[in-house]
Amino acid sequence: MKIRGNDPANDPSSILYQRCTIDLPARAVRMEDVPCRNVEDVLGGFGRSFQVLAERTITDPYSPENPLILNTGLLTGSNVMTGMRSYFSAYSPLKKSGKGLPGAMWSAGSGDFGNRFKWTGLDEVIFEGCADIPIYVVLRTGESGPQVEFHSAEHLLGLNAHQKIMSLAAAHPGGHFAVIGPAGENYRTVRMGAIALSTEGQLKSDQPKMRFAGRGGLGSLMGYKNLIAIVAISSLKLDKITFAIRDVNRDIVKSPGSARFQPASQGGGGGTWANIEVLEAFHAVPLNNFRPKGNDDVKKLYRDQVEKVFDIASEGCFRCGIRCHNNLYVRNEDGSRGKLAAKFDFEPLILFGSNLGVHDPKQVAELIHLCDSLGMDAISLGTTISYLLDYNERHPEKPLLNGATFGDFEKVRELIEQTGRGQAPALGQGVRRLSEEVGETAYAMHVKGLEIPAYLADTNPGYLFAIAGGHMSMGTHMLYAKEGKSTVEEWTQAITTTGLLQVGYDMVGLCKFVGLGIGHDLIVTGIRETTGLQISSEQVIAAVRRAYLRGLALELRQGYSDEEYTLPPQVLSSPNPKITLPSFITEEFLAQLRKKVWSVFLPEMEGLLPDK
Amino acid sequence: MQVTIKLFAALRWKLFEEEVREYPEGTTVAQLAADLGIPAPEIGIRLVNGRHCPFEQVLQDGDTVFLMPPIGGG
Ligand code: SF4
Repeated sequence: MKIRGNDPANDPSSILYQRCTIDLPARAVRMEDVPCRNVEDVLGGFGRSFQVLAERTITDPYSPENPLILNTGLLTGSNVMTGMRSYFSAYSPLKKSGKGLPGAMWSAGSGDFGNRFKWTGLDEVIFEGCADIPIYVVLRTGESGPQVEFHSAEHLLGLNAHQKIMSLAAAHPGGHFAVIGPAGENYRTVRMGAIALSTEGQLKSDQPKMRFAGRGGLGSLMGYKNLIAIVAISSLKLDKITFAIRDVNRDIVKSPGSARFQPASQGGGGGTWANIEVLEAFHAVPLNNFRPKGNDDVKKLYRDQVEKVFDIASEGCFRCGIRCHNNLYVRNEDGSRGKLAAKFDFEPLILFGSNLGVHDPKQVAELIHLCDSLGMDAISLGTTISYLLDYNERHPEKPLLNGATFGDFEKVRELIEQTGRGQAPALGQGVRRLSEEVGETAYAMHVKGLEIPAYLADTNPGYLFAIAGGHMSMGTHMLYAKEGKSTVEEWTQAITTTGLLQVGYDMVGLCKFVGLGIGHDLIVTGIRETTGLQISSEQVIAAVRRAYLRGLALELRQGYSDEEYTLPPQVLSSPNPKITLPSFITEEFLAQLRKKVWSVFLPEMEGLLPDK
Repeated sequence: MQVTIKLFAALRWKLFEEEVREYPEGTTVAQLAADLGIPAPEIGIRLVNGRHCPFEQVLQDGDTVFLMPPIGGG
């Protein structure tokens, strides 16, 4: 960034970001300093990329006009703890409206790639068109600014995500990597390809400790573009830590918000894994395609049970004191620690565990590992498979694919392998397309074409207004369990005031696990201390709000109708009696909610998209 | 009066899963938490007989109290 003024709210154009446009078919590169139009541009992430997407008319995600945008946030690569996010944005191969048009999406990931990319001097890369052969692109710091190189990627084809990263690491020491797995290569039959991001721990240990930008199938779009990997090579560019930044980082680690994700051994909550136990108290943990049965099966996946089988290590990204990763290592016969089996977070643990009827931790670890290796989004794949198992259980006389049903580990494993290799297009296209194809949409767990995460739709009407993944872009997924709120007024308030601000972390470059509201003083202080920019909490919040609403406006422009702002029909027609919280979501409830939320949002959305 | 206490996740790991304890009439959820040595910020969800409740809720004989840590995800 070139910062020539310090008042982003009133003089955004005095701040310029460096854009690199790469014409893949021509292998041509254009560098430019782009003046920021508004605070969203300054903060970065999807707040900036969605303004680029809004300028395009895209009807087919697999068309050369659909750009893949890689960018960072203002605090990526800074000394503020967790500041290492990179973002990928495009019109999604997976998310589609009822009119068949692709929804705009972004997907975020940690790991060390974001830092290294930022330190090349680039703030944004727009990949245009498709390369004629499989290639990877190297972005590096040069004598007179960032440089771009193109390399053949033929030798990487077919390798899993970790193997690709290690192969590239051998060829480009000091680099960090964003790669697709076999799933992304098979983009025609897999729309849920993820982008795997390397970590220092991975390169040092040769263990698959990757992070993922998973949602929306942007790895599949990379595959369509014949862009197999992106390499960022730069030297470490961290300023000296000032006293103020030291205090910010200390406060982040000490905040109750981040304590939830810190290691259990240090008095923290043990990461998102602990959600199982809390949600199970309400019988609200997804089981067998999001239908809890009120039994104790899920307890087999509690931390203390898994500890009997695996060594659990609390690890983290570069210099992050939150250390939210629960990495499971095989325990060798002599008691020593063996190889990494999987990383257990709430989402993959449930979506490849109880929601598929699999409760053996070793089996769940194997499924998670396989999904990661093949480079797929765990949420989309897990939720699509659970639909298939449900279908097969309902139609034993005419099952789909290999006939797998709940708990059939071997067959589920086979399905994951086949999907990642492009051999199971029924699953690779995601649950919306699959359920429409077979004509049974009631129990397809998606909202607006994107599979829902491991928080029951029965407890979260906020999913209606998530714009890029149910829990990533609307922070209401645990509101009911936390507070028991169940009136239209309370939900309208939550969605329109606090829930939407969840997306702010996908602008500034920090991780959501900081656990503080985006308007918190620590964010403002972090921005001021690292960039010199004077911005108030109110200005940050206003920009985040506009960015969110622009995303919502873009959904409408892509043909989403009012009826699509709803939950899977089964949630409404057949409330699950096993959930101990009172059932409160009805058609009437959702109709009122839509009315009230739109009445707040629509006037604010005026003028947020460019005239076309 | 007797109150059944159930703890979850990090609170369970640190203390116990379920206990029945005696408390004087008029005890609130906050006082019960203090008795257990759990600081308020470490409690994210409080239920009495399955319903969310404030810290100030006065307990009755035979109540079941669930205390859970703050949760989050994303
Ligand atoms: S909170 Fe977790 S994912 Fe985020 S930067 Fe820290 S260790 Fe990485």
